[in-house]
Amino acid sequence: MIDSGSSDEALLAGMAMGDQAAAVAFVRRYQRRVFGLAYSMTSDSSVAEEVAQEALIRVWRHAPVFDHRRGSVTSWVLTITRNLTIDALRMRRATPTDPDDFAASAMISLEHNPEDAVARGDISDVVRTALGDLPAEQRRAVVLAAVYGRTALEISEEEAIPLGTAKTRIRTGLIRLRAAVERLRDAEEEHR
Amino acid sequence: MNDPRTHQCDAYAENLSELALGILTGRERAATLAHVDICAHCAEELEQLARAADAVVRVAPEAEPPMGFEVRLFERMGVADTPPRRRGTARRLAATPRWALAVAAAVVALAIGLSIGWNTGPNRGPGPTALTHVHAPEVAAADLTDHGRPVGRVVTYGGSNPWMVVMLADAAGNGLVTCEVVTANGVTHTVGTFTARDGYGSWGAALRVAPHDVRKALVVSSNGRVIGTAALS
Repeated sequence: MIDSGSSDEALLAGMAMGDQAAAVAFVRRYQRRVFGLAYSMTSDSSVAEEVAQEALIRVWRHAPVFDHRRGSVTSWVLTITRNLTIDALRMRRATPTDPDDFAASAMISLEHNPEDAVARGDISDVVRTALGDLPAEQRRAVVLAAVYGRTALEISEEEAIPLGTAKTRIRTGLIRLRAAVERLRDAEEEHR
Repeated sequence: MNDPRTHQCDAYAENLSELALGILTGRERAATLAHVDICAHCAEELEQLARAADAVVRVAPEAEPPMGFEVRLFERMGVADTPPRRRGTARRLAATPRWALAVAAAVVALAIGLSIGWNTGPNRGPGPTALTHVHAPEVAAADLTDHGRPVGRVVTYGGSNPWMVVMLADAAGNGLVTCEVVTANGVTHTVGTFTARDGYGSWGAALRVAPHDVRKALVVSSNGRVIGTAALS
């Protein structure tokens, strides 16, 4: 029986079958994360609500085509939200939240014992910690690319830096984040 | 162990991060994808980098959607007869007795009134930073100060669904700020983030700790500076 304790995959499968209880449980599980991401990117509550509503509607409509082999439910939902937020910002020609503010709000929400993030198996805190450990210019480049979908060329123009420098910042920053994420995966493997 | 990389890998290594982030375009994208198709080493690299790239959006803090969000969404989805929400603002309000809502409204009104008086009243000096108990025993209010300078006010409301209201006025924060509370055991809890505009802003949120256990409230700017402290003891 599907209830609020069911896995993400089970809730999505239930939604795909038209189970209203699954849809309600899924929305209640994800609405704070979806709205939180949209708000962090826009700093505008009304735009964030519009985006969050549309994102959850799309998840509900496309639940039947979700393929768990291509990634987690969380990544799928948040990627939909991110893409819709980017579209909303472009359509409104609105100014997005500065990448430094985005990163700062993420790090503010970090638990007070970040060194335990790996032990807790919390990927969000692991990445928050790794992001916080990056040099500011790498952090900014990674946020611009990973969150706002900016290309290296766009970053070089917006930041007034050579294209090669933008590429290096993106690459070096992401490789360092990868190391943190893989450490978490290794720790999870050990526990199995 | 043999290094599985080919001599071509170095040429494409530069592009893997951008490919993982979905920002590589044109010929570079096509060429890198073609290489990844035939190179197990780079395919594994790409998979790991993509996991890291996907994880970046997870760092955004959660935030409570505006009141009525769920109702509007379920209407669009055609979901009817939704069971009660167990957590979150909307359900909290729905479950809160009318008298409690009245008290909460009074708290906000009181807080706003105190804030306005403190901003514009004739006795503009720094207000007391110690706890001020008002009529309801579960309601507490205190000034936020920054090195003795009043910069806002904090109000907590107890009951079965604790609330907290924070108001900033002429504080040294602009952009995202976070509100934290310190409980009697010395543990700091993040209540949430909100946006201050040129030092002004107001915000309310559910409080996940017992208000009577809160000893201190802090407002911290995005650069980590404490821009307001209120003693709630």
